[in-house]
Amino acid sequence: MPAETKSIRFDPTDPIFRWVSFSAATLLLVVLGGLIASLVYGGWPALSTFGLDFFLKFKDCPAGSGAHFCIDTPWNPVTDVYSATAPIVGTIVTSFLALLFALPIAIGVAVFLTQFCPRYLAQPLSTAVELLAGIPSIVYGMWGLFVFAPWFAKDIQTPLMIAASQDPTSWVAKLVAGVPNGANLFTASIILAVMVLPYMASVFRELFRSIPPQVREAAFGIGATPFEVTTSVIIPYVKKGMIGVIMLGLGRALGETMAVTFIIGNSHRFPKSLFDSSSTIASTIANEFAEATTDLHTSALVALGLILFLITFTVLAIARWLLSSQRY
Amino acid sequence: MTDTTSPDFQSVITPPPADSLVLEVKKLNFFYGQNQALYDVNLPVKKNAITALIGPSGCGKSTLLRIINRIYDLYPGQRAEGVIDFEGENIIGPNVDLVALRARIGMVFQKPTPFPMSIYDNVAFGVRLHSSKSKSELDEIVETSLRRAALWEEVKDKLTKSGLGLSGGQQQRLCVARGIAVNPEILLLDEPASALDPISTAKLEDTLEELKTDYTIVIVTHNLQQAARLSDYTGFMFLGKMIEFGPTEELFVKPKVDKTGEYIGGRFG
Repeated sequence: MPAETKSIRFDPTDPIFRWVSFSAATLLLVVLGGLIASLVYGGWPALSTFGLDFFLKFKDCPAGSGAHFCIDTPWNPVTDVYSATAPIVGTIVTSFLALLFALPIAIGVAVFLTQFCPRYLAQPLSTAVELLAGIPSIVYGMWGLFVFAPWFAKDIQTPLMIAASQDPTSWVAKLVAGVPNGANLFTASIILAVMVLPYMASVFRELFRSIPPQVREAAFGIGATPFEVTTSVIIPYVKKGMIGVIMLGLGRALGETMAVTFIIGNSHRFPKSLFDSSSTIASTIANEFAEATTDLHTSALVALGLILFLITFTVLAIARWLLSSQRY
Repeated sequence: MTDTTSPDFQSVITPPPADSLVLEVKKLNFFYGQNQALYDVNLPVKKNAITALIGPSGCGKSTLLRIINRIYDLYPGQRAEGVIDFEGENIIGPNVDLVALRARIGMVFQKPTPFPMSIYDNVAFGVRLHSSKSKSELDEIVETSLRRAALWEEVKDKLTKSGLGLSGGQQQRLCVARGIAVNPEILLLDEPASALDPISTAKLEDTLEELKTDYTIVIVTHNLQQAARLSDYTGFMFLGKMIEFGPTEELFVKPKVDKTGEYIGGRFG
């Protein structure tokens, strides 16, 4: 009998504990729900006024351009007309470019740290990667604006534009056209890449570490070179996890505000080249919220916030799904 | 032949005929950083025979195996001293082509280690690394290797499925097939049956028995019956030393060193 009473021991604080943890979890959902509701409520005036034009607005093409359709990207507080196409495109393009730059380097860092790094270097390097991840984004933004952008304008952009001016119709010339002040889509993407790089590198490292050492030994044991082991065994082993990490990195890049606001140039139109100034959703909100005078302007900014939320939510949902479906 | 190499232990080696050897470990010392794991180990390996290594956990059997195809090279701080003579070449010396060496001396590990790819690609993996074969040649090698590993009948209809989806015993036989597909001269097996059920173990043992005609096999095992059943020669190791080496029957029936008899008799270990 004593054993039985032990197994069904009842503690009167159990329901309280359960209730407390339940309300903590519920509170989170309530906050999330409230946030979405207020974004929809705040953005509704702009969304209902402009309808689908808020997302994509067409205009008459200039005569003789030969284009089938032309997209208008108004963002005009004076006439109170807003369309989110340009910041949406700016957000997505900078984030994708950032991933494009950061991904190979992050994989390289993680491969080196887990496969080749001598023991005395492993700890300092890992710490450096984590420190890099901890730098506040405003510091990256300042560094980008005051150090990186001027250098980029002087030593990269200007020489490229001079070289390309030999043939102004070539695709290179079109790609590098812009005001050579260093504040553009490309430099913003680079700063973003520097910001997501340490995060991705450290999670990749953890993923690679999770691979049983015997698998690596077996691949080496059959006479594979380090490159073959990495590309045919190690990376495929954690492929799904890596895609999840990439999506998480993308989620970070999409929502990054301060560093991008500093350096993207903040112009509300389609970027015409890689070196053209642009804007992202986050940078537009950060720049204009304090100065929004009309209700419609404020509402348009809130609606932008809602769109950003939906984009990052989608990306993170895909990431969760990919991470959870990894079974090794 | 009796050889007392140091006063604190006795090492009795009864080697196979000298002209039948394919590999010979001589006076091998091994270090994990500051810690010495092997002391003056000698091991003659006879061609086309099964050599078993037995001994209590931590005695250095697996370490010895990992030196023979230089897996220890992956880990900085581990080093070996001595000679491993493999057809006239000291394979632990400098300037050894590790990729070529590992193609000639394959290894199967304690835990099954299928790669994250199809069953077919798992077996073809090593072959593709070392030679360019046509599709039909490759098909033939994959089939032969799987047959010899006694796995063909179970997987022939799902060669394109992932190797990770097989059962533990099938995965281990897949690893054996992968190991023999590159046609190595020596196959090292580190407790290959320790994670397997009795039926899979029996299948694996049959496989090794058959492979003996073409390959030289060195197997580390905790299972004394397995060593007695399977091997032609057995080495008993204890505390990083080769205590006794000789024909399996002699070693099990009439051990020359007391320690060997105690271990086989189950009095320690």
